[in-house]
Amino acid sequence: MPPVIHEERCNGCALCDRYCPLDVIHMENNIARVRYPDECWHCGVCRQVCPKAAVDMTFAPIMLAV
Amino acid sequence: MTGGETYRFETDVAVIGGGTAGLNTAMAAAEAGCRVLVVDKANIRHSGAIGGGIDHFMAFLEEGEDWDTRESYLGYVGRVARGASNLAIHDAVFCDELTAAIERIESIGVSMRKPGSNSIFRTQSMGQPGPYWINFDGKKLKPKMAREVSRRRCQVLNRVQVTNLFTHDGALAGFTGFNVRTGDFYVVHAKAVVISTGNTNRMFKAQTGNPFNLWYCPANTGDLHRAAWDAGVEMANMEYVRMTIVPKGFSAPGFNAFFGMGSRLVNGLTEPFMKDYHPMGDRAPRNYMAWAALQELKAGRGPIYMDCRHLDRTELEHLFSTLGIDKDTLPEFFIAKGYNLKGTLIEMTVSEPMQARPSELCGSGIKIDERCASNVPGLFAAGDASDQMGCLHMCVAGGFAAGRHAADYARREGQLRPVEEKAIAAERARVFAPLARNAGVPYWELENIVRFVTTDHFGPVKTERSLTAALEKLDALDDMRERLVATNLHELMRVHEASNIQQVAKITASAALFRRESRFTPYHYRADFPETDDANWCGLVGIRKGDDGRAVTRFEPLPYAA
Repeated sequence: MPPVIHEERCNGCALCDRYCPLDVIHMENNIARVRYPDECWHCGVCRQVCPKAAVDMTFAPIMLAV
Repeated sequence: MTGGETYRFETDVAVIGGGTAGLNTAMAAAEAGCRVLVVDKANIRHSGAIGGGIDHFMAFLEEGEDWDTRESYLGYVGRVARGASNLAIHDAVFCDELTAAIERIESIGVSMRKPGSNSIFRTQSMGQPGPYWINFDGKKLKPKMAREVSRRRCQVLNRVQVTNLFTHDGALAGFTGFNVRTGDFYVVHAKAVVISTGNTNRMFKAQTGNPFNLWYCPANTGDLHRAAWDAGVEMANMEYVRMTIVPKGFSAPGFNAFFGMGSRLVNGLTEPFMKDYHPMGDRAPRNYMAWAALQELKAGRGPIYMDCRHLDRTELEHLFSTLGIDKDTLPEFFIAKGYNLKGTLIEMTVSEPMQARPSELCGSGIKIDERCASNVPGLFAAGDASDQMGCLHMCVAGGFAAGRHAADYARREGQLRPVEEKAIAAERARVFAPLARNAGVPYWELENIVRFVTTDHFGPVKTERSLTAALEKLDALDDMRERLVATNLHELMRVHEASNIQQVAKITASAALFRRESRFTPYHYRADFPETDDANWCGLVGIRKGDDGRAVTRFEPLPYAA
């Protein structure tokens, strides 16, 4: 799946929200939330733009298992 | 919910789609002195196919070898894209623009050269007669193009999905769209519009069942292929169903990196099989690789694997690094799967099909002439959304050409044309209607059904019967579009995407029905006409919406040297 946000590191800058090409990440209470994890394309942009290393990329189990 | 505020814009050149082609279009139009407005469904800094990075750009550089000339390159185009690429247009939009395109990339701060060196790393694959692929670090290419667009004072509307085009007296007047976060509605009047929205994805079944686990950008859903269709724009090369070879489990790019660096495809018996299918083996054009893989799997000799065991350490390090430039998360995917590249066979598979160009040397979509103009005055197209451009190199070069031509048209004969208020009100109501429905069909249900129909009937094998059946089933879904429901703006965007995908699927099936031969097998493989018939079908299938809403098709021959 998709990106996992380390909420304790997130500073609410919203760059991941702004730049996700699939509109997957939405800020909620000033913290980034991966609202549509199934729609992640794994482009890694969210992680690229995060200034706080608060984004980890993960893969859905099926991607690794087949 | 009925949407937010309505905003109106007037501009000289509007660019719909802020990917590589669109951003270069914007740069050119701004340089020509026009007011420019770029509209993108996401944010131009990281939207589209190369938003996360890119590592390959095709070019002849005239550095002395026989194959490295314009003439040799065009000969290659004529061989590998025969019947889909118009060489005169290719020459005008790419060859004439290539030197400037490379300079422009370097001038915005992306080097095409090996780190710490002046030389260029070039690789060869996909039927090329020599190493045309420039392998470079384009991780930041998209953000730097976006910055250049802003530097040239183009206006940008991010997060706006364009919903329809409007004409006045047969010429382009403008378009509408909505902001996918605020619900604001936009009406744009422009003297010229360039469509650069890429190909249509999410149209066929995907390998893991997740429709967003795709090779090309899942946000590209044929939004403007559909809108252009409704505006009477003629399209071409829409019959092709593109496929590639991707890692099993993850439809990621890297084909050119693997094969350019000398990797080989082997089957489940560890036999390298490509030489059985094409004399160039693993350097064959992509469609032959996809076809060969399909045959090996069908014959029960799967799985298929990428074999890099014979590459030396330096080559492997370079390969691993460049794969990560093209797809940020691919190296870690391989690590998570337990591959270390060295000594391991990497399981691959044939990707999902998609409505896209049959080669790296043309496009599929709005039919353009040498000036990138469509059959609707004031409407131009660039990049993969056009029938003649595609892939990074053509998008940078040809996108710029389209901007120059659109600017030229805007200055010389363009005028701002009216759009009827009643039409705008009707469009606004249509756009937001799914939010007002209490019950209905969620977007993914329509999309899932479309994917079953397309994959079963033309993904990729086609016959007259299968295509006719597909069209009947797709036609029967028309009224489901009126029952689509959205509970928020994100879903509303997806609703319109699903609706566009369903309609573009019909265009693809109709074009495929008309072309009674096979070409770029398996991209257009007719089991009832399995041979390529150059005598009758070496050329484009033009397709447009007729007065009764059905497809009107015609054949346009393309000339090539013998």
